[in-house]
Amino acid sequence: MSAPAAGRYVGQAIQRKEDPRLLTGHGRYVDDIVVPRMLHAAFVRSDLPSARITAIDVSAALGLEGVSAVFTGADLNPGAGTMQPSMMAENPAAVVAPLTPLAADDVRFVGDPVAIVIAESRALAEDAAELVVVDYEPRDAVASMEAALADGAPLVHPELGGNVASDLALPEDPELEAIFASAAHVVTERLVQHRHTPTPMETRGVVASFDPVTDQLEVWLSTQGPHEARRTFARVSGLPEGHVHVRMGDVGGGFGQKFFTPREEQTVVLAAKRLGAPVKWIEDRRENLLAANHARSDVATVSLALDADGHVLAAKLDHLEEAGAWPVGGTGGVGPFVAMLFPGPYRIPRIWWRSRVVWTNTAGRGAYRGPWMFESVAREQMLDVAARATGIDPLELRRRNVVGDDEQPYTMATGMTFSATTSATTLEHAARVIGYDDFRAEQARARAEGRLLGLGIGLYIEPTSTPAATLGVEAATVRVESGGGVTVFLGTAAHGQSIETTMAQVVAEHLGVAYEDVRVVQGDTDRTPFGGGTGGSRTAVIAGNASREAALKVREMVVGVAAHLLEAAPEDLEVHDGVVSVRGTPVRNVSLAAVAAAVHNAGTGLPPDVPRLLEATGRYQTSSPTWSNACHICTVEVDRITGQVEILRYVVSEDCGRMLNPMVVEGQVHGGVVQGIGGVLYEHFVYDEAGNPLTTTFLDYLLPTAAESPRIEIDHVVTDGPNPEGVKGMGEGGAIGSVPAVVNAVADALAQVGATVTEQPITPVRVVEALEAVGA
Amino acid sequence: MKAAPFDHHAPETVAEAAALLAEFGDEAKVLAGGQSLLPLLSLRLTRFEHLVDVHRVVELHGITRTDDALRIGAATLQAEAEHDAVVAGAVPLLARALPHIGHFQIRNRGTVGGSLAHADPASELPTVALTLGATFEAASVRGTREIAADDFFTGTWSTALAEDEILVGTRFPVWAGRTGYGFAEVARRHGDFALAGVAAAVALDADDRITRVAVGMLGVGATPVRVGAAEAALVGTVPDGAALAEAARAGMAALDPADDLHATAAYRRRVGAHLMETALGAAIEEARRG
Repeated sequence: MSAPAAGRYVGQAIQRKEDPRLLTGHGRYVDDIVVPRMLHAAFVRSDLPSARITAIDVSAALGLEGVSAVFTGADLNPGAGTMQPSMMAENPAAVVAPLTPLAADDVRFVGDPVAIVIAESRALAEDAAELVVVDYEPRDAVASMEAALADGAPLVHPELGGNVASDLALPEDPELEAIFASAAHVVTERLVQHRHTPTPMETRGVVASFDPVTDQLEVWLSTQGPHEARRTFARVSGLPEGHVHVRMGDVGGGFGQKFFTPREEQTVVLAAKRLGAPVKWIEDRRENLLAANHARSDVATVSLALDADGHVLAAKLDHLEEAGAWPVGGTGGVGPFVAMLFPGPYRIPRIWWRSRVVWTNTAGRGAYRGPWMFESVAREQMLDVAARATGIDPLELRRRNVVGDDEQPYTMATGMTFSATTSATTLEHAARVIGYDDFRAEQARARAEGRLLGLGIGLYIEPTSTPAATLGVEAATVRVESGGGVTVFLGTAAHGQSIETTMAQVVAEHLGVAYEDVRVVQGDTDRTPFGGGTGGSRTAVIAGNASREAALKVREMVVGVAAHLLEAAPEDLEVHDGVVSVRGTPVRNVSLAAVAAAVHNAGTGLPPDVPRLLEATGRYQTSSPTWSNACHICTVEVDRITGQVEILRYVVSEDCGRMLNPMVVEGQVHGGVVQGIGGVLYEHFVYDEAGNPLTTTFLDYLLPTAAESPRIEIDHVVTDGPNPEGVKGMGEGGAIGSVPAVVNAVADALAQVGATVTEQPITPVRVVEALEAVGA
Repeated sequence: MKAAPFDHHAPETVAEAAALLAEFGDEAKVLAGGQSLLPLLSLRLTRFEHLVDVHRVVELHGITRTDDALRIGAATLQAEAEHDAVVAGAVPLLARALPHIGHFQIRNRGTVGGSLAHADPASELPTVALTLGATFEAASVRGTREIAADDFFTGTWSTALAEDEILVGTRFPVWAGRTGYGFAEVARRHGDFALAGVAAAVALDADDRITRVAVGMLGVGATPVRVGAAEAALVGTVPDGAALAEAARAGMAALDPADDLHATAAYRRRVGAHLMETALGAAIEEARRG
């Protein structure tokens, strides 16, 4: 394969347009929005995991000077529309929990909002919130999937008749059972990935203002999808979509938590509409940890059957996914995705799976960077389990089973078809960069000294830009302004992805203007075309190709006008850095500014066949995912006394197609890898058996910091993606491959003394207990 | 996370601060660097009607050395003490322990006296104070008094300071002769509260015999603790590696660490014994070189 050449702008590590304001502390976030007469909201939240509300007394809170209103469910719930995101609200078959703006009859997890207090300041609103007296009749809760599935378990949502939100399975397969019965090797493990929470640096936040004269709702929001938010606010408030205007400024991360429009933001909008005054709600860190959507929490029993040479013959996957009480974006429902993607980049000829989604009295599950990534965690762990059982080296075992770069398109046994991926190549590259054989020798020497080193591989393919519901299309509008500058209007919603930079690179490249002259506008539903939001690794592919198409259309217009001005044939013209010139005769040229002046200056008059508009919209639609892939390999040392894990080296070989900006690609990989490391070694949102959350501050919910981040070595394998721009999505991948790589590295270290670890997080205590269990 | 309303007082002398504490009693709390108190207030886990902010009280700042003691004013920043050559020369154990307190941003705000008076059982300075037998100077409208370290730490986040008393300064003994010091701890992440930690000091005679030894631990009890069993096993001996390991085992056996979210009691025992061996080994090694 040959790497596509970089362009004048596309493919260059250009400095980010976002950096001057963000790096000097001049970003403008939702909390920077100040509106005249603005009030502040605080929620009263349940401190019980399950209870019936018998009375709410708001009189003392209302009596506090400076308090404007205290609303309960009785005030805001009647008349409220559905709170579900578009893809659920418009799907009549969807099973959804009966979500209301505020809990009115029951509370179903600690953090369930019971009332909203609106006051002159947030501090005052919190003072008043303490004075709201809620009488509860406590009930038993189920705080884990095990408890929720037990016979006679209390129901999270009695209306739904059970704690299983969905239960999908393939029919029993006697042929598959026969394969297992006769296979040379069968391995089975129960694998656990624990509960995380996305923890964006900027918590959620909203400012809502309603004008009853014009019936117009203005909302400023920290979001990944302003257009989805607009539809959501229209549904819940009953306003026509055209009467809802959503804007966003800079957003300090989302990781999926802000992809849909959560309950609290909708409730604030309803409160502002009812009150007729602007209301700001900035979520505090405790609320974010307690009540914003959580993530992960998966358990699976997985079996692999292999022949004597280590070829995988068949797999079984019985997967449980915890939805919590009020999952954001549906039932949580990534389970079938986990099963469908489980084979990943390997030939697994036959598979059986079952996937259940379970309600519990905990914070709801939602999207989180690679929502279905448990498939890679489970598969890659099992391959290492199989390697140990068969005595085949884990790299060699993967070589024997990986689908070759030239064997694609390839259809998995689950029916998913992938193409244009390079897993086999990235596996070899990553192994070469880490120095695989040398490390194995070093590991043996360390073992002789009593030290435990380990190496882990995480190989995955990722379906990016998956066209579900509104997510398969994006539009981009490119306009040459009257002075020759270029503005790009996108439906995207950057929250750390450098979209202002990369999309400006694409437009500058294809329109033929200087990067500095291109400005990107996004995050305003009145100014930008509809877009599905930024998430699902979809911007480069979908918005990137829409931007390309729009730029090429405008270029044609520019050339048409310039041809008239230069008295030349359009096909003889070229456009570079804002100058249109005759090919071979560069002195015959006209600037983009002059072209723009000719079009905008009606007095000059243009012949009827010359374009009189320098603006066009491109719209890119995809009907299937664009697959990207990577191989992560890391090496670790496990301290035998303290159980602490030190990452020694970390290597990523990745193929995200043509890179729009390698610096941005590497930044995304770095962030994702650190997030994955954090998830395996540090982050854990813990509930006790009764359903009380135990990790509601950063003292107890441990995020990885710079001190816990290794140097990350990145190898780029560049192959053209299957679209005009040649790109593949890559925002989530770093957080997918890193988890199995780290888990497998620790397991590899421990296996030398016969110890095993199959549950995350891998804490020092868990490592020590694993060592002590085998007397090591 | 906004604190409940409080009145902020900014006295400029110890006498003014003491008067405020006397006036408001249990409704008042001394605010120093705020690194522990402000989060507790913001989470509304605690509340006070009055905060007596002592950072303008000049007489609470400063580091002074006499022949046998190092005195650190209560409002002296942890970062100042950490980088102070006098501290490093007089009480090396302090200089070893200080970098383990949170992150440098926290040490730029946090004060030596604030950490001691907050008395978190997993924090470093109380353990060093207890290990070396520091003396605490307290002031109130009733006068001044001194409190020995052994009497100072009365429970988790509680000390022998009365409601109307303010910690003015702490005197750490300066050990003379062939001395060595070790400090070791294990935390989940860099800068976290220790799951377990050890401070150790030894003095040797000319034959390398231990004439004096002090061992303290953090994170293994309701207060910082002295590990008398380990000290008793070592004093008067010239320990080899096996003897150190045995002393650490004996020391740990006398303690009763607890389970919490981040570590089990069994884990603390295992790691605590290891840390004790490490810290004592480093201290002895240093003393032998001296």
